[in-house]
Amino acid sequence: MTLLVHLFGKLANAAALLLAVLVLNFCLIHTAPGDPVQVIAGEMGGASAEVIASLRAKYGLDHSLIEQLFTYLHNVLRGDFGYSYYFNQPVLGLIAQRLPATLYLALASVVMAVVIGTLLGVASARRPNGLFSHAVTVVSLAGYAAPVFWTGLLLLLLFGSVWPILPVNGMSDVVHPKQGIAHLLDVLKHLILPSATLAMVFVAQYSRLARVNMIDVLSADYVRTARAKGLPESVVIFKHALRNALIPIVTVVGLQFGNLFAGAVLVETVYSWPGMGRLVYDSILRRDYPTLMAVLFFSAVLVIAANIITDLVYRLIDPRIRAGAR
Amino acid sequence: MSTLESPLAVAESENAKSAAGPSRSASVAELPVAKAVSPTRAALRQFGKSPSGVAGAILLVLLVAATIFGPFIYHVDPLEIVGMPFAPPDADALLGTDYLGRDVLSGLIHGGRATLTVGAVAALITIVIGVSVGALAGFFGGWMDSLLVKITEFFQVLPPLLFAMVLVTLFGAKLSTITLAIGVVSWPSAARLTRAEFMRLRDLDFIKASRAAGAGSWHLILRVALPNALPPIIVSATLAIGVAILFEGGLSFLGLGDPNTMSWGLMIGQNRNYVLDAWWAVTFPGAAIFLAVLAVSLVGDGINDAVNPRLRRR
Repeated sequence: MTLLVHLFGKLANAAALLLAVLVLNFCLIHTAPGDPVQVIAGEMGGASAEVIASLRAKYGLDHSLIEQLFTYLHNVLRGDFGYSYYFNQPVLGLIAQRLPATLYLALASVVMAVVIGTLLGVASARRPNGLFSHAVTVVSLAGYAAPVFWTGLLLLLLFGSVWPILPVNGMSDVVHPKQGIAHLLDVLKHLILPSATLAMVFVAQYSRLARVNMIDVLSADYVRTARAKGLPESVVIFKHALRNALIPIVTVVGLQFGNLFAGAVLVETVYSWPGMGRLVYDSILRRDYPTLMAVLFFSAVLVIAANIITDLVYRLIDPRIRAGAR
Repeated sequence: MSTLESPLAVAESENAKSAAGPSRSASVAELPVAKAVSPTRAALRQFGKSPSGVAGAILLVLLVAATIFGPFIYHVDPLEIVGMPFAPPDADALLGTDYLGRDVLSGLIHGGRATLTVGAVAALITIVIGVSVGALAGFFGGWMDSLLVKITEFFQVLPPLLFAMVLVTLFGAKLSTITLAIGVVSWPSAARLTRAEFMRLRDLDFIKASRAAGAGSWHLILRVALPNALPPIIVSATLAIGVAILFEGGLSFLGLGDPNTMSWGLMIGQNRNYVLDAWWAVTFPGAAIFLAVLAVSLVGDGINDAVNPRLRRR
């Protein structure tokens, strides 16, 4: 019951934040240099005089700013995020088409990063001053410092021309389209490089975090007790210690979702992955503002959703936390 | 009071607790105080003991020096066409030419100026906004805190790089806009950090003593609390430089670089479609970004270890 109340509070907060994002979008449209109608139509959208006149009427651009804001909010609440004149379709549909591809990429990267990062961190925590531990530290520093679009391009170079064993372009084979299971395998094969590239940044951060947490946890009394009871080392590490060391990682994964999404924009651009990132790139290139604004809004939706999910997972794996404790 | 107001006094007092606790009161009674080391110097000495931190500092100095003095040694205009497009590295162009036939090495030297400046200035903006918000929220608490925390929370909902992209697209790809946009989107973590520091400091005795002595709020915030909150802020400022450099690269990569100013990000962004024809035009600027971010991260880690005695054993 308390959980429901808690969840309700979270959702109310989320609604307020999203409303604020919409107000921000509105303010940006009106503070950007140039006529707002240009921003709404997109600079290179090829909007005709009639279209511009109809936009003026639709968004009430002759009325006061407050009235315009309410018109804008009203439109959005009806699911109308504007029309992309470059793609020639409503923005909402455009985003709905592209969202799944980005979610596959993001989820594959998160899973890869958490599993590899945690394992590296745990392994290096066992001998914090050993050779392996130092190697992990170096690798994670390098992973953090390397720009994700650059590692992407280098991998594209490697697997595109030097050692062509993996597809480096798009989401599936368009020359020889496949059906059923074969299609699924094809998509997975195309997913390997983009998700590995994106995961690299986060492997770096998670392995560092896992390492520090494991070092802390391994010196805790209950781990000593577990060892003193004569439990096998693998049980001590994976059952007693890891569970506690994982909690901060879950938090960070949730907090990092916005960065993950932004990273996906860059990675999708490198590999022509047909997701929202690719959409962002095209909208920037064409100055397609309505699409860009809507992507900003939906990325906020994704971040908030990720935060709520993290909060719930947190409660699940850490029984000490109860609703209202914070 | 004066020793407590000096920077890094927190680190000092933590040291004092473990090592020199009793000697403090004793020092009043004419014991030699010459052994006392200023906390800043102690932190510097500690920093010097960290090989990775020193390596990062040297790397950073080398990179900055190359961008400052490079143009005096290597006289090639980065925007001028000096040869065939995609000429591989050879004696004429040491690191090859780009898609227009411009010299890559010259681009690296001049581009470094822009990229490193954007990094430093954007980090400064980040820290000024973040510290102001965090200090006011943490120090005053109450409605001010609730309001500022809400604003911070709002900014954290927007993915920083994406928000910066929208800002630069709307307001134009000029170097000043890019710098400002990066600063405006990345302050929340600095604000949270500063807020936590100020909330901790607010209730400590020396702040209470200053307050009781009649110090005003601004004096307390700027002259008493801020110097003591500096160590973590310095660390986060260092890391913010790295993030800003990566952001400049990311924005330019997406075509949002300032086409009139050579920068490392711009070089990658303009040459990326030809990566299979001319690997050098993309690989070298990327390596430069990588080294710069690596250097500031190493320095940041080194400072962190030096001012956080608790973490030294790690």
